Amino acid sequence: MKRSRTAALVLMGAAPLLLTACTEETTREGLYTSIDECAGQVGDLAACEEAFDKARQEAELSAPRYASFDECVAEYGTNRCTARRDANGHGYFMPLMTGYLMAQMFRGDQRAGLSGSPAFRDGNGHWKRPAPGAGGVYSNGVARPMQAISAEPNRAPTVRRGGFGSSGSHRSAGS
Amino acid sequence: MRRVPIAERANWRDRALQAGFDFHTIDGDRYWDESVFYAFSLEQIETDIEAPTEELHAMAIDMLDGIVGSEEQLSRLDIPEPFWDLVARSWRARQPHLYGRMDLAYSGRGPAKLLELNYDTPTSLFEAAFFQWQWLDDQQGEGRLPAAADQFNSIYESLVEAFATLAPSLPRPLHFSAVRDSAEDRGTVNYLRDCAIQAGIECGLLDIEDIGVSADGRFTDLEDRVIGTLFKLYPLEDLFREEFGRYLPASDTLLLEPPWKSVLSNKGILPLLWEKHEGHPNLLAAKFDAGGADLPRGWVRKPLHSREGANIEMHHEDGRREQTEGPYRGPGIVQALHPLAGFAGRFPLIGSWVVGDRACGIGIREDRSAITRDSACFVPHAILDEDSGVLIA
Repeated sequence: MKRSRTAALVLMGAAPLLLTACTEETTREGLYTSIDECAGQVGDLAACEEAFDKARQEAELSAPRYASFDECVAEYGTNRCTARRDANGHGYFMPLMTGYLMAQMFRGDQRAGLSGSPAFRDGNGHWKRPAPGAGGVYSNGVARPMQAISAEPNRAPTVRRGGFGSSGSHRSAGS
Repeated sequence: MRRVPIAERANWRDRALQAGFDFHTIDGDRYWDESVFYAFSLEQIETDIEAPTEELHAMAIDMLDGIVGSEEQLSRLDIPEPFWDLVARSWRARQPHLYGRMDLAYSGRGPAKLLELNYDTPTSLFEAAFFQWQWLDDQQGEGRLPAAADQFNSIYESLVEAFATLAPSLPRPLHFSAVRDSAEDRGTVNYLRDCAIQAGIECGLLDIEDIGVSADGRFTDLEDRVIGTLFKLYPLEDLFREEFGRYLPASDTLLLEPPWKSVLSNKGILPLLWEKHEGHPNLLAAKFDAGGADLPRGWVRKPLHSREGANIEMHHEDGRREQTEGPYRGPGIVQALHPLAGFAGRFPLIGSWVVGDRACGIGIREDRSAITRDSACFVPHAILDEDSGVLIA
């Protein structure tokens, strides 16, 4: 079959499913350097351990891989690289997971999901995580580039608005 | 490929209302037209459309390394110099992309020809992904189309899958943004947001005009939260040139589509593709155009950044000329004229959707002229087994 098995709408329909309304779902994500630190901040040791385990497994799959120890050290620093072997016996080097991200999704007060993903601190002290990309609908290879983890806090007083949108002189900005 | 008249669903306007499809009629003119559909064979879909779409997409992506590293190429594409680094960085970091639509000329026989890549702000998504899907389902339920009929349309599943894949790495808050006064654009972002929510992504809506900046040049929403990810149904080249564009290079806000899409959504990618793959069966000859010179017969002139068929100049082999009005100026390209095939006086254009890197469906717009403009109607399609000789309707 060349078409979707179903085609659901949750918000656009005349009777949207209230459960899934954007405003009723929240995700809390934090970056932690240890299970203890996580538990201290979140107050849920079991969740912190579960996220840590997920992150550690994920790190083995998605950490950047280097052919030489020196290349790894150049990016992540002296004490943060380790040797590994893949299933075919080829050796490579990867940075050690130095922290992890735990994301908890809530629907109202109910936790609806938990994820853990690895974080790596580079030689300049910047936190990075593997970018998405490989697999499924995305085909761009196995190499997963790293991307920065944006720093909190995420609030800033707005000083001006209206600096975008002036070109919209026609019916649609789409194509 | 055939254009087949069919009875409309008696309740299609109610169906549209139920689904929030409020732009099926635009300024009193029909936009959604289900009095006809296009019938394809599976062979036509898979061999002539799906496979070339995947190949053309891979060829386009393959061009990026060379282009973002070349000041000469970026200049030819008229990307402003202050944004070269942003474009290059976004590609080197492989900032995620979501979707694109390539427009193909196809008659049912011979290779489909790439007319352009709408890889930054494609619309007609809801119509293709949802409403034509529902049309087929309903018509099968009514018995007007056989149960074995199919459609090249896994756009919805691919979008939800793409959002689920991207979910862990899209900084929050995430906003879907479009211009305030376009029902069509709002329909598109509402649909994308619907898919994102189904993939478990918390997200909001924000008019393009309401985006703010903080004193230190970060983009903010109406609650003064720094925008983590901005899906913008608004051309990158306009963002670059507008007042707040100067804050983009230093901003941490992740853009969807990412800045590197400005290379592919640009008509200049067409001559660059031709230079690299001259003679490819799915490409048309194309050259950069300095302007000024008379357009020879058998060629089309298009500005680098035109949308909705605006500012297109066409010189037919028989000497006829067509030209559309519009707001676009600046440098352009010329492309070998490959007229759309006529079906009962209409000229269908195949919009072939790519979500992530997967070719996953088509939507057809047909106009009464060889240039597809914003007056075109959206017409559904189906895959029918032509071998059985059974074509209901």
